Amino acid sequence: MTGLDGRVAIVTGAGQGVGRGIALAMAERGARVVIAARRAQTGDPVVDEISARGGEAVCIVTDVTRRDDVAACVDAAVARFGALHVMIHNAFRGGVAHRLEDAGADVWEQNSRTAVWGSFFCAQLAYPHLRDAGARGRLILVTSPAGVEGSANIPLYAPVKAAQRAIAKSLAREWGPHGITVNCIAPVAETPALAHAFASNPTLKERLEARTPLGRVGDAERDIGSVAAFLASDDAGYVTGQTIVCDGGSFTGL
Amino acid sequence: MPAATDLTQRGALVTGADLDIGRGLAAALAGAGARVVALGPCADERVMSVAGDIGSPDGAGDVIARASGALGTTVDVVVHAMHPMGDATAAPSSFADVTDAAWDATWERTMRSTLFLFQAAFPAMRDGGFGRFVVVTPTLSMSGAPGLAPLAAAVEGQRLLAKSAARQWGAHGITVNCIAPAPELALEGVSAASVSLAAPALGRAGDPRADLGPVVTFLASEAAHFVTGATLCVDGGVWMAP
Repeated sequence: MTGLDGRVAIVTGAGQGVGRGIALAMAERGARVVIAARRAQTGDPVVDEISARGGEAVCIVTDVTRRDDVAACVDAAVARFGALHVMIHNAFRGGVAHRLEDAGADVWEQNSRTAVWGSFFCAQLAYPHLRDAGARGRLILVTSPAGVEGSANIPLYAPVKAAQRAIAKSLAREWGPHGITVNCIAPVAETPALAHAFASNPTLKERLEARTPLGRVGDAERDIGSVAAFLASDDAGYVTGQTIVCDGGSFTGL
Repeated sequence: MPAATDLTQRGALVTGADLDIGRGLAAALAGAGARVVALGPCADERVMSVAGDIGSPDGAGDVIARASGALGTTVDVVVHAMHPMGDATAAPSSFADVTDAAWDATWERTMRSTLFLFQAAFPAMRDGGFGRFVVVTPTLSMSGAPGLAPLAAAVEGQRLLAKSAARQWGAHGITVNCIAPAPELALEGVSAASVSLAAPALGRAGDPRADLGPVVTFLASEAAHFVTGATLCVDGGVWMAP
């Protein structure tokens, strides 16, 4: 297993779903993890889970759409653990089905704020510390297969997830000279959002599994977290500017 | 019977025709027989011009209404070649120095204006059962570019907005595609060196009218009715993915 001993990581949106899975996987491999969650009610239990397994974590209540919040989170991580090597931006709110012709500013705003402004703030504010971390510096953005193939159900979700890939590629080129790597993960995994979608659309799970070569929806910790941990590790030190699609093989367009 | 790439009877709106690329594409459409109106000034006598601002839903609606009035027909074809918003020139700057205002100007304004333009043009295309959107998305959004992350984000956002629109609006006979030129052709202040890719296989970045024009004319035509959600790289053979 790829070791992350001595690494300090921030994971946004780590109170649930994919973010929680990534945080658990990172901690399992020895990273000290900041659970950046919008609400302590979701973040604290993840800290408890990690502690119960013998790991080290802290919850910092963070709204990634606010620059000051992200700055305070980064400062708190460094104050608590002495450094910041890995920034993983996963938090997202939005993704409600809509028609493009009817989408108002509110629908746009919802998709844009957490995904794109959140990426901007997380990347920029982590940067001085990632630079100090040199060849251990990592920025990982959680995007979506929709960011490559577009979406018929949530059309405005696609461009914000695509923008994250363009940011990652650009920063991979810009920050490469410092040794920092910048990559994306595009997961499909069991999350509260997906569970909600399954509940309201009984055939969705079956259809999703049927079109997935590996025949199942991913597990946030085992299937997605493990990939994030790999990208955060020394083993992935020569991988940058890439998107790893973790969706059981549905999307093969890269 | 007219050729399948003949654009007679079609009304087209071109944004960004104040710059070489938009002007070249507008000229190509006019050369193929379309009636063409530019948003803003366009130094081509065959191209009409309307003023307006697509930065708000109402503004975009006004632009489509004025364009339709000037054309004397519906706007069947929209070619969005406008330079992404923000600074008029895209001089690379360190990501660490990007301000919230610059991010807002580049990302938010580019995306919102593109969305509003799409939304404003949609109803007439739906009602007519025919529509063509072509968005100019320089290849740097696919390659990434150091010092140009905000611009790359905005262009890639436009490219995926086009794919989503293609998926939702295809049933109405509307296609939505992108052409990806060399960055230096579409973005003032961006040099090929800043994205440090290979030299073009065809030896040059290309001429908007002569090299890109025929591709846009094709995408705007009946002949391309089964092509949607695509990005055609028209950069002389630099970016070759996939």
